[in-house]
Amino acid sequence: MLETPQDPFTIKNPPVKPQFRSPACKALTALILAWAALAVGGCKKPFSDREQLNRVFRFSTAGAAVTIDPAQASTAYEGLMVTSIYDQFYEYKYLARPYELKPRLAVGMPEVSDDGLVYTFRIQRGVRYADDPCFPGGAGREVTVHDFIYSMQRQFDPATLPQGEWVWRGKIKGLDEWKASGSDYSAEIEGLRALDDHTLQITLNQPFPQLVYTLTMGYASFVPVEAVAYYGKEIGLNPVGSGPYKIDSFSTRKAILSKNRNYREEYFDLTEEGYDPATQGWAGLEVLQGLRLPAMDRVEVHFMKENMTRWNSLNKGNEIHFGTIPIELTHMVTTQLKPLQLKPYYAEKFRGMSSPDFGFAYMNFNMDDPRIGYNDDPERERRNLLLRQAIRAGFDWEQRNRRFYNGMGEIFPGIIPPRLDAHDPDLPRDFITADYAQAKAYLQAGGWTPENLPELEYGGTASVSHIQFFEQFRGWMEKIGYPREKILLRTFATFGDYNKAVRQKEVMLIPMAWNLDYPDSENVLQLYYGPNKSPGSNSSNYDDPEFNELFRQTKTMQPGPERTARYRQMNQLILEDVPTIAGLMRSKPHIWHRDVVFYPSESPHGSLLKYAYINPSAPEEGQN
Amino acid sequence: METLQYAIRKLIYSIPLLFGVTLIAFTLMVYFGPDLTYSILGKNATAGQIEAVHRQLGYDQPFLQRYLMFLREVFTFDFGNSISSGEKVASILARTVPVSLAVALPAFVISNVLGVGLALMAAYHRGRFWDKAVMVFAVVGMSVSYLMIVIAFQIIFSTTYGLNWFPVQGWIDPPPEYADVSWFEIAYYYWYYYWLYVAVPTMTSVFVSLGYNTRFFRAVIVEEMNRDYVRTAKAYGIGNGRIMIKHVLKNAMIPIITRIIISLPFVIIAGNLVLEKFFGIPGVGLVTYDAITNGDLPVVKAVVTCTAIIYVFALILTDIAYKFIDPRVSYSK
Repeated sequence: MLETPQDPFTIKNPPVKPQFRSPACKALTALILAWAALAVGGCKKPFSDREQLNRVFRFSTAGAAVTIDPAQASTAYEGLMVTSIYDQFYEYKYLARPYELKPRLAVGMPEVSDDGLVYTFRIQRGVRYADDPCFPGGAGREVTVHDFIYSMQRQFDPATLPQGEWVWRGKIKGLDEWKASGSDYSAEIEGLRALDDHTLQITLNQPFPQLVYTLTMGYASFVPVEAVAYYGKEIGLNPVGSGPYKIDSFSTRKAILSKNRNYREEYFDLTEEGYDPATQGWAGLEVLQGLRLPAMDRVEVHFMKENMTRWNSLNKGNEIHFGTIPIELTHMVTTQLKPLQLKPYYAEKFRGMSSPDFGFAYMNFNMDDPRIGYNDDPERERRNLLLRQAIRAGFDWEQRNRRFYNGMGEIFPGIIPPRLDAHDPDLPRDFITADYAQAKAYLQAGGWTPENLPELEYGGTASVSHIQFFEQFRGWMEKIGYPREKILLRTFATFGDYNKAVRQKEVMLIPMAWNLDYPDSENVLQLYYGPNKSPGSNSSNYDDPEFNELFRQTKTMQPGPERTARYRQMNQLILEDVPTIAGLMRSKPHIWHRDVVFYPSESPHGSLLKYAYINPSAPEEGQN
Repeated sequence: METLQYAIRKLIYSIPLLFGVTLIAFTLMVYFGPDLTYSILGKNATAGQIEAVHRQLGYDQPFLQRYLMFLREVFTFDFGNSISSGEKVASILARTVPVSLAVALPAFVISNVLGVGLALMAAYHRGRFWDKAVMVFAVVGMSVSYLMIVIAFQIIFSTTYGLNWFPVQGWIDPPPEYADVSWFEIAYYYWYYYWLYVAVPTMTSVFVSLGYNTRFFRAVIVEEMNRDYVRTAKAYGIGNGRIMIKHVLKNAMIPIITRIIISLPFVIIAGNLVLEKFFGIPGVGLVTYDAITNGDLPVVKAVVTCTAIIYVFALILTDIAYKFIDPRVSYSK
């Protein structure tokens, strides 16, 4: 019988080397070798024999801007871009902490009528928009207050899908009515009157002490009507402003900004910017004194969601100049996080500081859920309060801070974080200290037993960090005697889905974070104001008559001790009624190259990038 | 002529397929996709605003009506503007697809050419050292997480912890504007930075896909080597290299070509999310991912439609390629 051998080539000859020497193989080999030769630097860098462009500051952020349309730009990343390209009336001083306002396009602070209802603003004369094809002849025209009125109309025109309408809703006379009557741009608005091209009068329905703060926001930018007419829906990709920079290119990975050649003369003044040599002397900011802004001709903003890529790029030396130490590498790079101290190797390359968030993390209870919040049965409502108190007593903020934020965060009781006027540093720490015995006592006082405790549904997106947050939370609850099987995770594919479920009151325990829009406690207290219940910003659906009344009173009050006392009273109500467990102000370890002069901020800062500067004594750098 | 008739016939047959794909994709988008309303409305929406935006986005219309509108967009190839950025969807694709293609193409070519080469070598040395070495390499490439390989290659080739030869991330910027710049300088600029930015993503992609390709190709070639004609060829005294290239490889080409062409649509339009994310490449993969997570339906609809269309063309191309590889293949019914 003839056997089929395993290897057909063994029939006749022993194996010989295969002869893969075809011209195609040779060509491929040559191509790979040529490519490898180029890769290791065998070719001359393009334009290396020509005069190089001016220095470039390469900034990086952990998220991407999607649009630079002031009507729609709502994230911190988009806000940074908008305030770099568009002008607003006011901005925050670069270095002053706590934050202080200063005029930007405005001339001085506004004149306010005695009843606090009429504000008169003047803007600088001769300020021009960046040159752009949207203008006749391509030359930027002068900025007038009509542009601001137009911008406000866009915020109230549903057709633009605006994000900032809530800021002024019900505040400016005639603006809501203008929207209700069909958003006719030619119609006049009683509360927004241009006295001349450079003077604007805003009339309010009732006093709104935060008005000037809101005029620092990107939503309140001066937008030329010609640009919107010219670019239509693509205005978000082709911003035309009068700010320090104009856009050269923009994608979801990178924005390139170049100096707006029409930008007015603005010079840096350390004193005016609130410089404090005692706390900021290390940053080398003195070289900025007298410098014309923007300090750099070109700024690149790299949108880098991947922490490790961002770090590698920063540490490389010639790619990005500013970034953040990834949480996983903090022990490798630093000797101390609070305040930040770098290990010698990294200290030679970088400067850095831990910069606190301008906001905080918290966990709301859905008060409209009868299992944990309000209930038609007063006895059950009393027991629900004790249940919420027990959960708060079991919530270990210290551990959360250590495990997830390297202990860099700042924990505070209540909802008014440090750096705000009404923050009370003397509040008892019991509200934020885990005490399992106390938690069990609350459960006992409420008559809660493992059998009758309701199921807890912890909401969040289906991300690793949210699942880890949940696991930690479940561990704490088990310690206070909650049955494991009654602590459930409810995940959502995207933040949009989660947000929708929260706004529809479908989530029971709602971990959230809030970034402040302006440094006034009103911006956090409104999160618990009854009329703002879901789908509004009050996701806890807390609706307490006493709190609501106090909020209504303070809404129209000017800053002062009386208002602060009421703010603190509201904070106290939150602590007593426990619609939320708060809070943690997170911190990020920012670092930047030593030749860069910069001072980071997580605030809703105006045009932070215009101050960034690279010391000329540093060696030249270019694209890789 | 027969080929042309066949291609037209296949195109007509593919119309129901396209309908099916669009219907399934649209159903998934409508019932399981995120609702953009709440992201659009900002921090403090009212019920009235939610209703108005629902109306504006067409969420309040019946499913059938929405689907018909979608079909109209497909036929006119006008998907409107992205809801998130306002940019024309056609511009987004025109901007991002070439970038993804530019990144994916070298890896696609190299991994397939090398895959065939290594498979030939492994099959020829079946059961011996080189076969085992190639297979171990293939299994490693297939087993290690893509993410880990990306990070490892980035550290090895692009950082100060490793060789530091290439940029960590980024893509070609518009060239600097000099008054007297020549087209050669501009071309050189693009050529130089293209290879600089594409090198590490290409190596990463080749490392990962080579394992899959090699294993598959080897299996096909080994099967072919067991055929009688190979033994006959050997009996005639034909050289091993000639047998492998001219006979074995040629006869194994049908499954190989099928695999290569079927993966083309993903190279052309789908992009590579992981590579684009980690290497900062402004390609279509990342745009699509963002559109899916943000509920930017116009972009998702366009990408799904384009992928389906290219896929149909790839299938037709595969069938046509069979005829060229093996003239015995007949297109008659």
